[in-house]
Amino acid sequence: MAKQQISLTVNGDLYELLVSDQQTLLDIIRTEIGLTGTKRGCTTGACGVCTVHNADGEAVLSCLTHALEWDQESITTIEGLESDGELDAIQKAFVEYHALQCGFCTPGVVMSAKAVINKYPEPTEEQINAGMAGVLCRCTGHIKVKEAIRNTHKIRARDGVKGA
Amino acid sequence: MPDSRKGGEIRQVSRGVTTPDVDTAMPDPEIQQRQKAMELSAIGKRQPRLDGPEKVSGRSLFTDDVQLPGMLYGKILRSRHAHAKILKIDASKALALPGVKAFITGDDSEKVFANQYEPAISKGVTHYIGEEIAAIAAIDEVTAEQAIELIDVEYEPLPAVTDLRKALRPSAPRINPYHDGNVASHNIDNYGDPDQAFEEADLIFEDKLATHPTHNLYSEFHVVLVDWSFPDKLTMYTPTQSGYLFQKKLSEAFGLTDSQIRIVHLNTGGAFTGRGLLRPHHYIAALLSRKTRRPVKIFSAGDEEFLTCRAGGDNDYVVRTAITNDGVIKGFEIEGIMDCGAHAAGLSYLSAMAGNYQARLFKIKGLRFNRKCVITNQRPNFFHHGGMMTGLNAAIMQQLNRAAQQIGQDPIDMFLANAAEQGFTDIVGGTFASCGLKECLEKVRDRSGWKNKYGKLPPYHGIGVAIGSMASGVKGAFKHDTSAAMVKVAEDGIVTLYTGIPDMGQGTHTTMAIITAEVLGCDAEDIRLVAGDTETTPLDVGAFTQRGTFTTGNAVRIAATDARDQIAKVAAERLGVTPDQLVFRDRKIMVNSDRNRNMGFGEAAYACLHSREGRFVMGNGFYNSPLKYGTLAWSFGAQVAEVTVDPETGEVQLTRITVAHDLGRAINPLAVEGQIDGQIFSGMSQTLYEECETDNGQFLNPSRLEYKMPRTYEMPQVEYIIVESVDPYGPFGAKEVGEGPIVVTVGAIAAAVSNAVGAFMPEIPMSPWRVLRVIHQNGDGSGSD
Ligand code: FES
Ligand code: FES
Repeated sequence: MAKQQISLTVNGDLYELLVSDQQTLLDIIRTEIGLTGTKRGCTTGACGVCTVHNADGEAVLSCLTHALEWDQESITTIEGLESDGELDAIQKAFVEYHALQCGFCTPGVVMSAKAVINKYPEPTEEQINAGMAGVLCRCTGHIKVKEAIRNTHKIRARDGVKGA
Repeated sequence: MPDSRKGGEIRQVSRGVTTPDVDTAMPDPEIQQRQKAMELSAIGKRQPRLDGPEKVSGRSLFTDDVQLPGMLYGKILRSRHAHAKILKIDASKALALPGVKAFITGDDSEKVFANQYEPAISKGVTHYIGEEIAAIAAIDEVTAEQAIELIDVEYEPLPAVTDLRKALRPSAPRINPYHDGNVASHNIDNYGDPDQAFEEADLIFEDKLATHPTHNLYSEFHVVLVDWSFPDKLTMYTPTQSGYLFQKKLSEAFGLTDSQIRIVHLNTGGAFTGRGLLRPHHYIAALLSRKTRRPVKIFSAGDEEFLTCRAGGDNDYVVRTAITNDGVIKGFEIEGIMDCGAHAAGLSYLSAMAGNYQARLFKIKGLRFNRKCVITNQRPNFFHHGGMMTGLNAAIMQQLNRAAQQIGQDPIDMFLANAAEQGFTDIVGGTFASCGLKECLEKVRDRSGWKNKYGKLPPYHGIGVAIGSMASGVKGAFKHDTSAAMVKVAEDGIVTLYTGIPDMGQGTHTTMAIITAEVLGCDAEDIRLVAGDTETTPLDVGAFTQRGTFTTGNAVRIAATDARDQIAKVAAERLGVTPDQLVFRDRKIMVNSDRNRNMGFGEAAYACLHSREGRFVMGNGFYNSPLKYGTLAWSFGAQVAEVTVDPETGEVQLTRITVAHDLGRAINPLAVEGQIDGQIFSGMSQTLYEECETDNGQFLNPSRLEYKMPRTYEMPQVEYIIVESVDPYGPFGAKEVGEGPIVVTVGAIAAAVSNAVGAFMPEIPMSPWRVLRVIHQNGDGSGSD
């Protein structure tokens, strides 16, 4: 179980980490770096609670990928969405439209939703459905989640929120 | 089961209006009128959750996020056999692995039962695939997993029976020492006079419906962290529906006092009725912590989760409706055989509740529920979201929709003619102090455009109606059903509410803040909340039987009123009036007749303390239903579901659902819609998708990929109708909305599918292959048969 050094940028901060080939990206985010906003669920790619973004702002299931593959890479976790102490428009939309209940899936659902918004600032129904097909939210039945995503651009226009 | 009624050991109980120990709520128009006339400010606003910002930013802590110094990781060895003797467990190789700190078996836990008949760790014999037979604690999870792999177990397989009907055969193997003939319980409940009801009927409809095993599928998997480093203090972090119940159970099991147990329930990632009871892993973490004197965390892996949950099992129902030619519903008779799995736990009680709830909807003469709980070599079962009410409602509502059609009546007209109403005393002996059932029916009929659709849809399009009712809290688990609350008002006017009720997502904490804010004339955002820890919060029985809004809400109302009275006394002196002349509004205390005479809320709180009395404002309250047992307030609902069925594939699409729910008063309409959304999802999921497929006790689809649920794009259009009957006893008139809607959703979808294919749907979930089978056997898609 030889360990290897990797350097990984998380939310703009550079981490030098010794990781084994058994550790997933999720493991090191939660236990080595100590950012517990990214949740551990099924660990088999079936629920989406572990979703983070790669450097291109695309959704990645962190439980499905080895930490070793992320040497020299940069990721964003749920903790990295805020800018200048203000929630991102998608986060505000989730709060205002009641798109969360128990909140356990929420970090993953928000990151998936944000990946949709990154690609399509005013997404169509189909684009939302395609982008959100991999996440499960038992509490909300996705109904208000979709409403929040549809209305995010309005909140951005209203508040002039920073963040991509 | 014709002869079972006469069987020797069967307990036959009659509950009816004459039973002397049944107390009930009575309508009280005067209080109801007062509740209706209240001038409200915080209540009724669309209030976003107060914990929203924390949750969307990843700051909220859940159990798996907690790390304690010196923490170890536990893993459980689970049985590979459905039924076997355990001849030997050899852990020598595992114990030799560096980092392994403890190993326990049933020898270490002989007197510890997770539930009445369920050992925390089974000893000498195993009763189902996945049963706990040993456990390891190690310095990290990988080591613990490796150690589990190194344990050698020698089994001697025994004959197993995993089918509930076969388990009842005389030749079936005996599964545990407690239950002769593998019958955990057999009861016949008679409400009213069922025999008379059937005698008075012109028509009797009979159908069979089967349900299959499920998973509650809360998004946070089972996880527990126990610190029992010192013998007189056990601290447990875990998601739960009730810290109080967990305290009680653990103190009993381990010979501690309640106060020596501390339950920390931080945030709870959903429950859907799946977190009311302790499971073996809770006890195992405690045993490992006691042994190592270090904190121990156990996290359920994906497939393991399906074995540790205690959701619904295989249940078979026969349902009969007695009805007259002109549509008077006389009564129901239900026979149910229900799979408890390997260990009985509460299923008998739950089935009793389900029958009881069905008896209340219509002005019927009688209902009989003949219910038998069976032991098999399956995972122990408890129930899924909506309890056993969902399966029963699926059967009864389909049957009633079809019965109406057959006698040439519109189902909604028939329901309206038979429905319960305010002041009605049902055959169980309860009287409805508030009831908006008929209003719900009328409103769903209008909003759904029922009149233009019913009987006029093209082939394989269906529409169905269902109704239901739900208790807002049930007294019965203990002699009391108490919730307590404290409201502190600091000298700067900041209000802190202390409550023991868990918020598993339903939004109770925000609801309680709104009630506090209403009483004190503040905004919900002004209220801080202390919750989630039995050591710092007052007692609360917990978040089940839909008691939160009603019972905890009343406790919070009383506590806030106590704080208000303390402040009002001082404010009245300052303003030169008597306290009853004051109103609390907009963070001000005003003289009602002249609202310009006022003082700030914070100013008044400051004045309380900085006075000769030196009063620190601290309101206390508790609420316990005045009934001996049972329920003071019932919610009611009606729903119309519209579906299309693909006759080629058997796929059902729920296109639209119109939901009306009488919840007394909507404390927070935004959260009410959220609750309805979740229950539509869950009800749709149970009716059309969810099933744990098993083969001789082996789970075939223990993953969220294979265990199907609706995805984003499958959700229907939802129409919400909130009916406010304003209950005289609810806080500001409020009743439950946490589980009432799902029962109705299941019934409405079932009725709509049956309408689309023109046949009774005999199983849920209505998976495509089952729908196809029905279409091929008897349906023609014409909506009538
Ligand atoms: S933890 Fe479920 S998809 Fe990653
Ligand atoms: S908010 Fe609970 S699962 Fe999504």
